[in-house]
Amino acid sequence: MTSELPDRYGRTELVLMVVDPLLLFSYWEVTPESLRQAQHALGTEMEGARAVLRFYDISLIHFDGTNAHHTFDIDIGLEARNWYVHLWTAEKSYCADLGFVARTGRFHAITRSNVVHTPRAGVSARDEERWMRVRFLRRRKPDPARPLEFLPSPPFAGHLSPEELRALLERRAREQARLAAEFAGGTSPGSLTQGLR
Amino acid sequence: MTTQPTGYLCLVLHCHLPYVRHPEHEHFLEENWLYEAITDTYIPLLRVLNGLVRDGVDFRLTATLSPPLISMLRDPLLISRYERHLNRLIELASKEVHRTASQPEFHRLATMYVERFLQTRYAFAQEYGRDLVGAFGRLQELGKLEIITCGATHGFLPLLNVTPSAVRAQLRTAVAHYEEVFSRPPHGIWLPECGYYPGLDEVLRDVGLQFFFTESHGLLYADPRPRYGVHAPVFCPTGVAAFARDLDSSKQVWSAEEGYPGDPAYRDYYRDIGWDLDYDYIKPYIHVDGKRINTGIKYLRITGKTDQKQVYDRAWALERAADHAGNFMFNRERQVEWLAPVMDRPPIVVAPYDAELFGHWWFEGPEWLDFLFRKLHFDQQLVKPITPAEYLERHDVNQVCTPCGSSWGHKGYHEVWLNGGNDWIYRHLHTAARRMEELTRAFPRAEGLKRRALTQAGRELLLAQSSDWAFIMKTGTMAEYAVKRTKEHLTRFASLYEQLRSGRIDAAGLKDIEERDNLFPKLDYRNFS
Repeated sequence: MTSELPDRYGRTELVLMVVDPLLLFSYWEVTPESLRQAQHALGTEMEGARAVLRFYDISLIHFDGTNAHHTFDIDIGLEARNWYVHLWTAEKSYCADLGFVARTGRFHAITRSNVVHTPRAGVSARDEERWMRVRFLRRRKPDPARPLEFLPSPPFAGHLSPEELRALLERRAREQARLAAEFAGGTSPGSLTQGLR
Repeated sequence: MTTQPTGYLCLVLHCHLPYVRHPEHEHFLEENWLYEAITDTYIPLLRVLNGLVRDGVDFRLTATLSPPLISMLRDPLLISRYERHLNRLIELASKEVHRTASQPEFHRLATMYVERFLQTRYAFAQEYGRDLVGAFGRLQELGKLEIITCGATHGFLPLLNVTPSAVRAQLRTAVAHYEEVFSRPPHGIWLPECGYYPGLDEVLRDVGLQFFFTESHGLLYADPRPRYGVHAPVFCPTGVAAFARDLDSSKQVWSAEEGYPGDPAYRDYYRDIGWDLDYDYIKPYIHVDGKRINTGIKYLRITGKTDQKQVYDRAWALERAADHAGNFMFNRERQVEWLAPVMDRPPIVVAPYDAELFGHWWFEGPEWLDFLFRKLHFDQQLVKPITPAEYLERHDVNQVCTPCGSSWGHKGYHEVWLNGGNDWIYRHLHTAARRMEELTRAFPRAEGLKRRALTQAGRELLLAQSSDWAFIMKTGTMAEYAVKRTKEHLTRFASLYEQLRSGRIDAAGLKDIEERDNLFPKLDYRNFS
């Protein structure tokens, strides 16, 4: 017995998900009631209006609906109910509205999505260091509220100057990162579940 | 105080299988995943580790035992079915000894298989008392093995996080289950598929976990840039430690082209007598519906890129495993010698692998591990095996960084679990998770039948969330089964949700699915709040 899953859940929503630093997946549901409200709100402007996802870049800000760094619209087919969205920079925070843009340019939002953060796609430019001491507890759980003890950075080791060492370590990290990016193509021969022919 | 080695090696084996238990069928193909892994990987691994203990070899290994795997290994039905499976295998191998009587090369191997399977049966029933989890637990008590936990059902947390309560439930349930099984909390976790996102460490801290692992770029791309790259752990801002995979050691074992498991002397995984022998002869030992499957008996070696495979030579293969262990150790020695002079602490090389690679895919993998630990112990001083717990005890001051969102799947992010072949599941998974949270609010102190229904709803949700289903849908071969499992658990969840909402619980129906989907008998439905 395999029952089919419902096509709709009767709840208007838009959900964003991260695929990778430059790709998002979105899915949505718009109830007939929400659609009627949108049509009502746009009135005669509804004719020729385009369904869009309006994205807001809200990286590092508290979004109040008006202060996004920038916005962009992706034209969608409302009935597709999901869409992949390609991005051009990594390490951003986005949310989106699902709505209609009338020919006049007026935008009517039906629903707003969750917020997603796209991951970094390379080595961080920041190298200021913070260090911390955390006591490991054997066979016990640490108290989640225990205070954290910050410490000054330990000195760089070895006979090189701190600047030389810092540069050397950074070069090595970047080389490792390059290898990591190459190797990400085939890390695993697959799990056992993949193995049966 | 013992002298500090130049560097550390942290070997991690991730033991996990999705929950495959089908009491409704006498024979069920996917249950073979478990039986094959027990015979090929878990028992050989236990035998290697116990042999090291017996011989006084000081070693350290970190291993995940995922909650579904633990649950299956402790399930009476699956245990008895495993023994039935193994008995059939012994019967087949015995027939093979006769069949190959006039072919010495094959005959030797057939004899090896009979002996091997008989030893496996003896180890399973007598040495380990049908309790492999207990056998792993004893190695942990000896301080040689660090058993870490995983997501409750291996849910891929970065994609469940749309409903944060789903992530909390995966982790709370896993930790509670570990405590129930091992009578102590887990120190650390293997995040399912190495899937991390910034902020996940807050949930890890809240459930009492002290370390986790990320893919290499989880630390290489961390912010700020970690001074020592992947060769020292960092603390997340929450104080939870993150260790990252070392590339060089991974590549030597994982890589399809350059990796050890592809050596011509090693046993070929794909040429199995279930496929190669006469149909009428093999029919009683393949799937009951007559479909050819792997039996586990394989006579050929990889040989090369050719269909003309040559016969496996066990002695030669073991020599290669010893060579490869020596090579791996040599490379780690050179690696830590190169790393250590510019660090203020011994570098740690973290080498994680899917456990099922060892023995199942790479037949000689357990012996390789055996050779490696012996060589590390007897032949050198530079590299010492260590667990993350020991490392953090010795080095409790670490840099504070936020690891980068990442996974160990193809391309390093989420694509394996979110693509055109499986993206349809998330709408349903997120809705079910939201509804489960809603149920915990609606019924904060349920008892009796209602509590049972809530608990079962939680089980069905967890089972639907296994990353294995999305993975299998993506990779093809068993996609139909993965789709079926996803839909079944979600449908059962939806039905329980409606029943709880309407106040009319179908007691007989509930009992039926409680018996089918029986993992986490002590699950607390409030984990989903």
